[in-house]
Amino acid sequence: MTEATTPLPGTDPVPVLEMRGIGKTFPGVRALDGVHLTAHAGRVVALLGENGAGKSTLINVLSGVFPAYDGEVLVDGEPVTLHAPAEAQRLGIATIHQELNLVPDMSVSDNVWLGRERSRAGWVERREQAREAARLLGRVGLEIDPRKPVRQFRVAEQQLIEVAKALSIDTRVLIMDEPTSALADAEVHRLFGVIRALTAEGVAVVYISHRLEELEEMADSVTVLRDGRWIGTRPMDGVRRDELIHMMVGRELGAQSPPPGPARPGDAGIDDAGRDAEPRLVVQDLTVRADPRAGRVALRGVGFTVRPGEVVGLAGLMGAGRTETLEAVFGAYRRHEVGGTVLLDGRPLRPRSPRGAIDRGVALVAEDRKTQSLVLGATVRFNASLAALRSFARGGWLRGAAERRDVQREVRRLAVKTPGLAATVGHLSGGNQQKVVLAKWLLTHPRVILLDEPTRGIDVGAKAEIYDIVAALAAEGVAVVVASSELPELLRMSDRIVVLCEGRVTAELDAASATQEDILTAAMARRALVAP
Amino acid sequence: MTTTTQATPPATRGRLRRLLPVLGGAQGYVGLVLVVLIGIWSQGDRFADVDNLTNAIGYFAPRGILAVGMTLVIISGGIDLSVGAVMAVGSTASAMLLTQANWPVAAIVPASMLIGAAFGFVNGAGTAWLRIQSFVMTLAMMTVARGIVREVSGNQSIGTVVLTPDGEVAPGSAQFQLLGTPGTRLFDVPLIGYFPVLALLVVIVVFQLLLSRTTFGRHVYAVGGNATAARLSGVSVTGVTVVVFTLSGMLAGLAGPINAAYNASADPQAGLGYELDAIAAVVIGGASLAGGRGSVVGTAVGALILTLLDNVLGLNNFSANWQMIIKGTIVVAAVVIQRPELLAGIVARLRRRDDPHPSGDGPGTPAPSSGPAPAARRDAAGEDTPRRNATQDVTSHEVTTHEVTTKEL
Repeated sequence: MTEATTPLPGTDPVPVLEMRGIGKTFPGVRALDGVHLTAHAGRVVALLGENGAGKSTLINVLSGVFPAYDGEVLVDGEPVTLHAPAEAQRLGIATIHQELNLVPDMSVSDNVWLGRERSRAGWVERREQAREAARLLGRVGLEIDPRKPVRQFRVAEQQLIEVAKALSIDTRVLIMDEPTSALADAEVHRLFGVIRALTAEGVAVVYISHRLEELEEMADSVTVLRDGRWIGTRPMDGVRRDELIHMMVGRELGAQSPPPGPARPGDAGIDDAGRDAEPRLVVQDLTVRADPRAGRVALRGVGFTVRPGEVVGLAGLMGAGRTETLEAVFGAYRRHEVGGTVLLDGRPLRPRSPRGAIDRGVALVAEDRKTQSLVLGATVRFNASLAALRSFARGGWLRGAAERRDVQREVRRLAVKTPGLAATVGHLSGGNQQKVVLAKWLLTHPRVILLDEPTRGIDVGAKAEIYDIVAALAAEGVAVVVASSELPELLRMSDRIVVLCEGRVTAELDAASATQEDILTAAMARRALVAP
Repeated sequence: MTTTTQATPPATRGRLRRLLPVLGGAQGYVGLVLVVLIGIWSQGDRFADVDNLTNAIGYFAPRGILAVGMTLVIISGGIDLSVGAVMAVGSTASAMLLTQANWPVAAIVPASMLIGAAFGFVNGAGTAWLRIQSFVMTLAMMTVARGIVREVSGNQSIGTVVLTPDGEVAPGSAQFQLLGTPGTRLFDVPLIGYFPVLALLVVIVVFQLLLSRTTFGRHVYAVGGNATAARLSGVSVTGVTVVVFTLSGMLAGLAGPINAAYNASADPQAGLGYELDAIAAVVIGGASLAGGRGSVVGTAVGALILTLLDNVLGLNNFSANWQMIIKGTIVVAAVVIQRPELLAGIVARLRRRDDPHPSGDGPGTPAPSSGPAPAARRDAAGEDTPRRNATQDVTSHEVTTHEVTTKEL
């Protein structure tokens, strides 16, 4: 408590926002307990903690989503109540949630002004709104037509639209919950520029991210939460990473120095054998038609091979076609929209639907686990057994005992933290949800597993566990393709990296010798494509 | 790592936990008990009489059967507004097969179900393949089916009681009466012996098992819960949708002859508004119109509440108008009761009005109960390796990101 209220050296004595002893109880769970947070004008305070540490709950309290909480919130030193989102907005607290809050079928301009439409006698002044929206979009570096529906834009662009929306009100405290989780590195830098401009104008920013290097670049101070409790607040200058990580996880972790080379279990033994083996998956000249309404970019001829036990990384900026490549192989698109050849164990793979791909032993851990992978309202057991349900049935009749046994085995093996198989998946933390998705696919005994951003929005600990699971799968001889926006992660997980740019392969690199620069250079090799 | 799943609970608790979702929550039963108590309190033996109950349930049975089909459709995330009209089609078709073609009852019922299934299949095809929203598709089908039945019947009711020249009920017609004419019994057991009650019971059991114990049932929940995830998990969303609507149509086809037998005639206007009663039963039974949630047993409880409520109100001489008003109110009440958080929110809001400054326990106060979460969540053993890797990863980030940054700037 004392530590929280002591202003950090060199900061404004009266913070714009101060939260004292915040607590929040859900039925059966004390999600927050005695949490403090202080934000000063023109400063960035980072909120750090593993998934399930209570960051999102705190943010929701701050943005007025939860009417019932305990503790005290002060704005400019005056106590205030935050019982409705409108109250928070009136106080100048704007939140950009991890899940974007945009109405997909409304125009960008209408979204920016949603709830605060500029009107004269009840008539919306559409032209003025669009003009103002375009100006705000310009401030966040977006050159788009504000009259187009939000649905047409990629996640990265929608994120910036959210920032523009926050700018449209007189924001004094801007909360950003994992704003970079869906962004490629280039877009992250653009976002940082925007944040710097905002703090220069005196806005206080509460910034949540798992990426420590981002915090080191952006934050002035950092507050760490663990298991819903306040662990401490430190100035960002002079705090060591291992100290922060220790605060997050509650104990010291191993050595801080990077290993001489990326340690991948797949490098040894099996992999050497794998290099001589016949390729498990061959993709040749894969094409996909673009579908702007679904936010899908075109593939213009993608090719690569994956051997058993090999991990191939797919790199590329937003819109390069990573997701499209994986989903096309998996049969997620209608067949006439997909061209080229895919061979699985030498036999053509042209699935009419995902079912066809699954039957051949292909699994896809999709990009967005909440909308594409999980039935959030259903149980762990329901979700985990969904793809392999046939193997638990005889004549369509489910054998519950077999199902429960196998699901239980996977849940144990992957160390899913859940109160039980009957727990609702939507109540688990992101990392555990992703493990349930992995369990679902492991139960199908895949020969090829396609992973699309498998660690997005999950905490460091769970990330490392997922790396280990992938390495173990490869060691068992599964062919793995993994797409990720985080280059260090990709370098760490993969044996080879295929770089995509605008629907084409622009480089194929050996992960052991490649650097992030190599990948980025290839990922931005746009000019080369324009030439005839 | 630590507790993946907590130590297996005692067998009884586990069984209860598995049973609870099937039972659809206690609220429905509270409502049911309440209606029964009011019935007994106000009418005593007139209400708690086997004949009265048989009649009440038999009268509601066609709608109950529709509600079971509706449950499937609603769990899969759709809605079927055509069931009342399709039932009328089945009703009239049955009567025509009986009186004009002299078909035996054993052939009439399957024929009617087949006709209903055909209508349902068209609903499913339009929803799944043409991607017409089910509300629109079945609204159109409701109109079309009603038009067809009126046209075919020439806007005439068809009596199902056919007399032979010597004034006796014709044998085929007598058989048909067994399908539900009040006072007839298929076999001599109270309640169950009455065909509509028996049919409803069989349908409930069969479809409850179908939903809870088969892969198809799982797929229905998955499609309603998250169609994209279902598709990417290898579920044929279109297939499930088509089958679900076909089954709903088939059940409407089954309800047709029962309804005709109950009324002793097939009226082209039969079943008007039945789809809404069916939806009401499903909703009272705990299903969500958003899909993914509900159960046939829940629907059965919902249907029983509506049935007995009708009966109790009727016995107490409430007019049909009041019955409608009360039924509507019950639907809203049922939905509110099923979402306790709604009530909690209202209570919290009211409380806040009294106390504008709710500052709970201060920072020093220890948490009342920190729940199962914090301490037990992780233990040191077994986590060392992944953690170390994570740290390495983070560090390698640092080195390279700065390079990249300078490069880009």
